[in-house]
Amino acid sequence: MAFNYEKYLRIQKMPTLWCWGCGDGVILKAFVRAIEKMGIKQDDVCVISGIGCSGRFSSYVDFNTIHTTHGRTVAYATGVKLACPDKVVVCVAGDGDALAIGGNHTIHGCRRNIDITMIVINNFIYGLTNSQTSPTTPQGMWTVTQKIGNIDPTFDTCELAIASGASFVARETMLDPKKLEKIIIKALEHKGFSMMEVLSNCHINLGRKNKMVSAMENLEWIDSITTSKKKYDAMTEEEKLNLFPTGVLKQDLEVREYCDMYKDIQDAHQGKRAKITQDDFAKKI
Amino acid sequence: MSTFLTENPGDQPVWVNTSNCKACDICVSVCPSGVLAMRYEISSTLGAMIAVEHPESCIGCNECELSCPDFAIFVAEKADLKAAGLSFAKLTDEAKARQAAIAANNYYSIEQGAR
Repeated sequence: MAFNYEKYLRIQKMPTLWCWGCGDGVILKAFVRAIEKMGIKQDDVCVISGIGCSGRFSSYVDFNTIHTTHGRTVAYATGVKLACPDKVVVCVAGDGDALAIGGNHTIHGCRRNIDITMIVINNFIYGLTNSQTSPTTPQGMWTVTQKIGNIDPTFDTCELAIASGASFVARETMLDPKKLEKIIIKALEHKGFSMMEVLSNCHINLGRKNKMVSAMENLEWIDSITTSKKKYDAMTEEEKLNLFPTGVLKQDLEVREYCDMYKDIQDAHQGKRAKITQDDFAKKI
Repeated sequence: MSTFLTENPGDQPVWVNTSNCKACDICVSVCPSGVLAMRYEISSTLGAMIAVEHPESCIGCNECELSCPDFAIFVAEKADLKAAGLSFAKLTDEAKARQAAIAANNYYSIEQGAR
C-alpha cells in the first residue's frame, strides 16, 4: 500500500488538466503529504487559488476551497483568516497571479504579516494563456508578446517578500519533492505570513521556443539556476548573479501576527483593555 | 469511482496506473536503477506509455512515486513487500549501466530502439 492520496483529493476531477510533466502535480502531492504528516483535519484547511494553471489547485484538493478572481487570493484569504483564525489558510498562486495582477495584494499581505501560507508556483511564463511575458520571465527569452527577446527586468519573488515584511520566506524547486514537503511543513507551522516560492517547469509554453522541449530539459535548466542557501552565501557577487538560493531565506519569530493584533481591537471595543496607542508598539514610525 | 491504484496488484515492488500516466519521462529519468522505461503505445496521446521493465532491480527509493505529477506510479512499503516474501534489491553496476543506456536512448526502452 503506497501513500493514499485519495482521501485528500476530489478524484472525480482526475486526471488533472495539467500538461504532461507539469510541476504543479508534484507540488500538489507534496502539499497533501505535508497536511497528512502534520495531522491537520481536512475541515481545518482552507485552500484559495486564483486564475492560471495553479488556479486548478483548489479544484483537486478536498479541503475547504475557494477558486477566486485573478490575483485576489490574498484578499480573500485575509478575510477567511480574520473570520476563522483557527483555520489553516493556504493561498496558491502562479507568478502572474501573485506578482503581476495581484502584486499589490501580495505586498500588503506580507506587510500585515497575517498567518497565511502563500505558495507561489513560479514557472517563469503565463502558461495558461500561451507564453506571454510574466514578471518573472528571464531577460532574453522568447515569449509571444516579445518575440525578439524579453527586455523586461525580472522580479525576484523572495526579495520582494522579504522587503515587504513577510516573516517567513522560502524558495524550493519541484526537483526535490522530499525537501519541498519539509519546507511546506515549516511554512504551515510558522505563525505569520509565509511566502513559499516553488520554481516549476513549463516546457510547453516556455521551453518550446527556448531550447527546452521536454520536461527533463526544463528541469535541468531549473537545476542549473538554483543552489542551496549555504553554498550561495559563500559565493562572490559575480557567481551569485545568475543563481537563486533555495531553502529558508528568512524566518522572523519576533514580529506580531495580524490576528493577534486584531484581537486587541476587539478587546478594546468590548472594554477589556484601553484604546490602542503608539506606546503599544516598539517601532513608532 | 476511483481512478487510483494505490493497492498493490499482486506482489510488485513498483506498479503503474496507465490510465493516469501522461508519458512525461520524469519517473524514468529519476530512477537510479533502470527499472522503468517508455514503450511505444499507439493509443496514448504522446505515442508512449510507461512500463515496469525490471521490477527485480527496484531499490525502493520512492523517487518515481514522489516526482510523478499525475498519481500514476506507486512504490510498495518495505513491510508489505516483506510480508509477501520479497525485498528491494541493492543498487548494482549492471542496473546503473542499464539506467545510463535508457537515459541515452531518450528514456525509451532499449529493446524498442530510439524514439
